[in-house]
Amino acid sequence: MAGRGARLYWAIQWRRNDGLGALFLVLAVFAVVYAVLFHGIFAIGAASKFVQGWFPTAMVAAAQTIVMLTGGIDLSVGPMVSLGSVVAASSMDGPLGVFGGVLSVLVLGAVVGAIVGVFVAIGRYPAIIVTLALSFVLRGVALLIMPRPGGFVPPLLSDFLAGVHPTTAILLLLLVIIWKLYQATPLGLGLIAAGDNAEGAYRSGVSVTAARMCAYVVSSVLQALAGLYMAAKTGSGDPLIGEPMTLAAISAAVLGGVGFLGGQGTMRGALAGSLLMSILISVMFFLRLPLVAQYIVQGLIIIVTVALPLIRVWWRRTA
Amino acid sequence: MTATLQRFAAAYARSLVAYAIVAVLWITASILIAGFGAYAHLRYIVELAAVIGLVGIGQTIAVIGGGIDLSVSAIITVTAIILPLVSFDADATGLGAIALALVVAAGIGAVNGLGIGYLGLPPLIMTLAMATILQGLLVLIAGGSAISVSNASLDWLGSTHVLTISVSIILWAIVAGVCLFWLHGTRSGSLIFAIGTSPVVSKLSGVPIRRLTLATYVISGVCAGLAGLLLLSMNGQGYVGIGDPYLLSSIAAVVLGGTPILGGKGSYLGTIAGAVLLVTMTALITVINASEGWRSLMLGGLILGMLPLSGRDQSR
Repeated sequence: MAGRGARLYWAIQWRRNDGLGALFLVLAVFAVVYAVLFHGIFAIGAASKFVQGWFPTAMVAAAQTIVMLTGGIDLSVGPMVSLGSVVAASSMDGPLGVFGGVLSVLVLGAVVGAIVGVFVAIGRYPAIIVTLALSFVLRGVALLIMPRPGGFVPPLLSDFLAGVHPTTAILLLLLVIIWKLYQATPLGLGLIAAGDNAEGAYRSGVSVTAARMCAYVVSSVLQALAGLYMAAKTGSGDPLIGEPMTLAAISAAVLGGVGFLGGQGTMRGALAGSLLMSILISVMFFLRLPLVAQYIVQGLIIIVTVALPLIRVWWRRTA
Repeated sequence: MTATLQRFAAAYARSLVAYAIVAVLWITASILIAGFGAYAHLRYIVELAAVIGLVGIGQTIAVIGGGIDLSVSAIITVTAIILPLVSFDADATGLGAIALALVVAAGIGAVNGLGIGYLGLPPLIMTLAMATILQGLLVLIAGGSAISVSNASLDWLGSTHVLTISVSIILWAIVAGVCLFWLHGTRSGSLIFAIGTSPVVSKLSGVPIRRLTLATYVISGVCAGLAGLLLLSMNGQGYVGIGDPYLLSSIAAVVLGGTPILGGKGSYLGTIAGAVLLVTMTALITVINASEGWRSLMLGGLILGMLPLSGRDQSR
């Protein structure tokens, strides 16, 4: 019995890779190109630096994916990361030290997530406009706390998170395990169900409101922690450091096949999407292309990855 | 006749709320703040609203049609930066350069429309990717420096008044009138609502979805281009990032004006009020003389606070 259950589990997991083939292929090609360009990547130092560059994008991509799976969207990712970094860097010199800093970042994420949840899950206002307005509020608060980059992060913490060792890779692995555990709880299962078919999920006994509420809280906590990580990496808080991350998070999720209508997409896709963007930036750096060219390539890749399956369908229909 | 009026009131109740809020804000502020109610100041507010209002035209049509255009800010920046580059000596009035800049804007919109209408890409993805690509191209073309421009027609646009009304406001009024007539007075305009309500039913009923989608995003491109030119005429110089604030404010204006983000309903009438409302709120916050942090916080808080007035998500 258990054997059949396991087989079924892996069969379903395998089926969920459908539609990600193109992405995995592109990712593999770029990974090979990167490895050829830069042999040093296999050394522990360069590898941990690379993972450290990828990690914050992976976190916000995961955060965005959780929200998009419920059928929502979060346009306040960037300001939330900035606020997380600012709060982290201004609370670590308190009596509780690093512990107090981490605690205040967690509380910040939970509170902001709960606010969004009240508006979107309970009030049923469109997520796009709620988070748009919230992005102004968060940016404002971050600028009030810290008008310019500064603050204090203990060097010990910076070294722990962003030193020459694979701590970040372990954190990333932890993130995946936590996601799998979350998916095993009723609230995690309800998340995708609520996004795919809210009415059906509700009739089947899923608490749609609770699942959405929980999704926003988890997403915001992840974003705040990404801010904490950025602060540790740079050694200070910056009220604008997260600005490019709103787009990056959406791009990574979209690259990974996460749909805007909810219920479609996988976390592995979003993480692969963020990895592709991260490799892309490194490759372009090694090709000595201007840094802005990454935007052009990133945009083109989004279009191509999303358009390829559509063109194939269209081709089959006409042929 | 009364039936038509009743239908109008029912359909535009949300838009009327936005107008009511603007009226209340203007009257209250005029009483409390010296100089706020002066004609020149209110005219200045409407002039600033014209930029958001022009971008809002394309955004409203895209949203009603069930889409969204996230590339408007990039298109604004493109027109503001490309104008000096396409200026040529034989063109004394500057109209030729303006036409070329608008053609570029229309072309970007057409690429969006082709991707969405013909290839079937989701609007959010297509326009987001377009914005990303343009952002890269712009930095490559313009770098970090501001580009000054001298264009006779633009100078005229930015500084002339006809019967004490600014030309920019007149331009906005004309384009808005054409848009309103097209959306509510013509067959193809009403089909946009049909597409936004149900693309499948529209397609099965023989609505030329592809062509209308293409038209939607071309219109959005041109409107964003016009807004970029207007912005340039007020600023005198273009730089990378000049259009950035207008993406969020155009969407906010649409939603505050009562057009639901899910499409199929709404009117540009509301977006006009939404644009004026946004600028009024910004002006009030500036009057209080707050720091940048407070300004951002208050603007976001106000939009959140007004959400209950602008209507809830109807579905589910």
